Amino acid sequence: MLIPLVLVGAALFSLGLIGFVTRRNLIIIFLCTELMFQGIVLNLAAFGRYPLSGPPSLDGQAFAIFLLAIAAAEAALGLALVVLLYRYRGTLDANAYKVLKDS
Amino acid sequence: MLLLTLLVVVGGIGLYMALPRGRTAPARGVLALLAVAAAAMLVAILINLPSGIVTPARPTMVALSVLALLAAVRVVTHSRPVYSALYFVLLVLANAGLLLLMQAEFLATGLVIIYAGAILVTYIFVIMLAQQTSGKAPYDTEAREPLLGCLAGFVLLAVLAGGIYGTAVPGELKRAGPGGPLAAEAIDVRPDLAPNAALLSDVNRLSEPGPGHGTTERLGTHLLTSYFLAMELAGVLLLAAMVGAIAIARRQLSGMEGAA
Amino acid sequence: MLLAAETASSLMSLGLTLPLWPLLSAALVGIMLASGRFRGMAHVAVIAGALVAAVLGAVWFVQLAPAGDGHGATGGVSMDIAPWFSLGDGQMVGFNYYLDGLTGVMLLVVTSVALMVVIYSVGYMKDHHGHRERGYERFFAFLGLFIFSMLMLVLAGNFVLLYLGWELVGLCSYLLIGFYYRKPEAAAAAKKAFLVNRIGDFGFALGIFALYQYILPHVQPGENALDYAVVFRHAAQLTADQVNLVCLLLFCGAMGKSAQIPLYVWLPDAMEGPSPVSALIHAATMVTAGVYMVARCGPLFANAPDALEVVTWVGAIGAIYAATMAMAQYDMKRILAYSTMSQLAYMFVALGCGAPDSAVFHLYTHAFFKALLFLGAGSVMHAMGNVIDLREFSGLRSVLPTTQRLMLIGCLALAGFPLLSGFWSKDEILHAALEHNFPVFVILLLTSFMTAYYTFRMYFLCFHGPLRLPAAAGAHPHDAPPVMVLPMTLLAAGAVLAGYLGVAIHWGSPLDSFLFVFQGHGWFHHYVHNGSMVVTPVEHGSGSAVLYYVSAAVGIVGIWMAWRRYGTAPQDEPDRKSFGPLWLLWHARYYVDEIFDAVFVQPLRALGRLFFAVDRAGVDGAVNAIGGTPRALGAVLRVAQNGMLQSYALTTALGIAVLALLWRFVGTP
Repeated sequence: MLIPLVLVGAALFSLGLIGFVTRRNLIIIFLCTELMFQGIVLNLAAFGRYPLSGPPSLDGQAFAIFLLAIAAAEAALGLALVVLLYRYRGTLDANAYKVLKDS
Repeated sequence: MLLLTLLVVVGGIGLYMALPRGRTAPARGVLALLAVAAAAMLVAILINLPSGIVTPARPTMVALSVLALLAAVRVVTHSRPVYSALYFVLLVLANAGLLLLMQAEFLATGLVIIYAGAILVTYIFVIMLAQQTSGKAPYDTEAREPLLGCLAGFVLLAVLAGGIYGTAVPGELKRAGPGGPLAAEAIDVRPDLAPNAALLSDVNRLSEPGPGHGTTERLGTHLLTSYFLAMELAGVLLLAAMVGAIAIARRQLSGMEGAA
Repeated sequence: MLLAAETASSLMSLGLTLPLWPLLSAALVGIMLASGRFRGMAHVAVIAGALVAAVLGAVWFVQLAPAGDGHGATGGVSMDIAPWFSLGDGQMVGFNYYLDGLTGVMLLVVTSVALMVVIYSVGYMKDHHGHRERGYERFFAFLGLFIFSMLMLVLAGNFVLLYLGWELVGLCSYLLIGFYYRKPEAAAAAKKAFLVNRIGDFGFALGIFALYQYILPHVQPGENALDYAVVFRHAAQLTADQVNLVCLLLFCGAMGKSAQIPLYVWLPDAMEGPSPVSALIHAATMVTAGVYMVARCGPLFANAPDALEVVTWVGAIGAIYAATMAMAQYDMKRILAYSTMSQLAYMFVALGCGAPDSAVFHLYTHAFFKALLFLGAGSVMHAMGNVIDLREFSGLRSVLPTTQRLMLIGCLALAGFPLLSGFWSKDEILHAALEHNFPVFVILLLTSFMTAYYTFRMYFLCFHGPLRLPAAAGAHPHDAPPVMVLPMTLLAAGAVLAGYLGVAIHWGSPLDSFLFVFQGHGWFHHYVHNGSMVVTPVEHGSGSAVLYYVSAAVGIVGIWMAWRRYGTAPQDEPDRKSFGPLWLLWHARYYVDEIFDAVFVQPLRALGRLFFAVDRAGVDGAVNAIGGTPRALGAVLRVAQNGMLQSYALTTALGIAVLALLWRFVGTP
């Protein structure tokens, strides 16, 4: 049971990564990070349930719970920033924000 | 192995084609083909798995997995943010189902409540807030660097999948793939690593679900005993995030340069 | 003996400050310049400084006199003033003086001539209307600095301090030759003097290094290897090769400073400087530093017969070589410059022939009459509106009678006319040469004939014949003002009388005593022997006065021939017809400047251009390439730094993918 679940988790993570890299909408980029979190949650729970060695444990679930907390915090802050940026520039295009570049 | 590689390659090409590009909407046919092919191959893999523990949950798990993957693909490829968010809700639901199969009831419920109920609602709020203009914004309909992105993602996926597939899993898969990181004979169960004998015996009963039994209670105990400090810290973190989010969102634009 | 105990002690401590007074005066002039007030008073400060120095110099001269008739060398005294720096190996270099008879003579010469020249300059550096020349204060400040430097050179008690003084006088020489720095010739001459001296000084420095290297193993604890006293004490312990090498290298420095072959080329050009400078620096004092140094290092040179041989021959060849060039020049100051070179060469011959006392004697008499001649030439130049070419004027005896009389004395002294100072000292050198090296003696005798001849050729061209004046002189040229005449008169007195210090009165037969009265090697020689100098004893045997008659005859004949050929019709150039192409060669100064230019200057310049090109293309290019590579790389990589986080994320993802592939297919080490 472990392998298919972990495979699905890896696929979700990779899709999230692809989305993060290719999408240009700031909100969708954040959404893609959540997608990656989903993959990881699945992964953690699967490894907890079907560990490679030893009996099943609840640590995987516990980690997933903390991950949820992190994700929630990240979403709150990230979206606040997105709102701020949108008010600042009037666009959600990630390409519009290149202040990191040396002028 | 071949199937797996093929799956990854087809998936990669399909996703590459499905990513929003210009004004042309992704061809439904391609998308359908992609979905069918991916699902078929995944099913084939799952069935093709060496005979492990055959449980009645397996068909459900396959269906949920396919659903989750399709939803994830749509999240990534849909050119309307609202739909992306809604597909994400679908993904979360499918994930929760998978978690239920793993007897993680609390986690599944929490996932649905927190993600689908709280986070995604916030997302949709923000999307609504920001999406004032009618029609699709150009930055939604055009992916950047789709080829390189897909390449990176799917190479990673291929390596991961190869590694996972070649991994020996006790009690499940006896065939160690070439180069797999954990060969069966290398597995060394170290009893001293087992955290708690009582807990272990509790957890061992996980595989024997019965009415009224779940992992929720034990998980709660576990969190509030072993992870007590971490729980509190997580609470502090959430509080800090909340304060930060309010502080950021409330900020006036007057002080910022180049305000639009 | 050296100092009469207590009476001298207070004077002595004052005397130690001797070199500081001119320096103080120079600094004072600098302050005057900076403050912008009292600028016209610059000469007062420097005259005061030079006066104090002259008085103290005279006091020292008297103090250093040997008690009684001490003919034997009593050795010099080293006086430590202050420590300077440590060389390691327990070696210190200090400010110390070395005092002996040679020091006393040099102090007397330097301070007295300097005082005369400074006084003269007050008149010279003003035009006929009393307006001060441009740079008047600067001139006096440099003069003060020069006097200080020269005194340091003379008083130095170790080789490092000597080198300091040596370079300081070189610097002052450079500054003063280039005093009219707006004149391109003057600036070029200053540069030339400096560069040519660098060559000699390089050898000199190497000589000091070698000396240090060689003497160090013999030095006892507590002794400083570069102190004169220590060097002289251990000089005999050096091997012949070592001491020859050291002496030859030191002599390189002397060749540069004292304008000997082949490093003499700067001296004629140095005449671009003001005439008082030519008189003080390039005739009386600085150029004699080489002679002084070789005489000072007597204990070293005495053990270096090969080096002495070189010194003798360089001197002999230089003497006649310079004399021939002097015969065919028209520039009065250049004639005098060549004669200076020739007379310095005489001194080197004396040094080479083991008669350093005679060399110093000639140095001392030469300082007076050559300074007088240069000041006289300056006086002529001053009256002629800075024209010095003998073809431009003649018959000046009617308009410049005072100058003419003083110049006559100077010329007679230089020509070796009997009973004048030059006669006595030159004859001693001839005597030394006769005893040691007959061919050199012949050369010197010929040279002294030529000296008399060209000196009076110059004199007649200038003062005899019909009166002709250059346009620049105006209608009524003025003779020298009193402020210029006074020092010239004093120097003329010196030119006549100074020689008698070195002459012994000995009534005897005309073959033993010149004119029944005079013999060589008088009090002056006793005085000079009181020190480190190594002198071959001179016999005053029968017939030793014969040479006096010969040299007197040679001088008089030379003057007479000059009178025959130039006294009546100075405008013609009879020599040109008589000597033909030889004269032209002399006139062109053997084309040495041109040869040097072709052989050294142009190839060096080409080499310099080559280096410049290599530096530009190669070194700069390499450096720029080193700098440019990261810049170019940066320009390439800057494209990646587009400021978009997603690009960075993509790059990261690709990197992870590549790492994952590596992990998968290459494996971990």
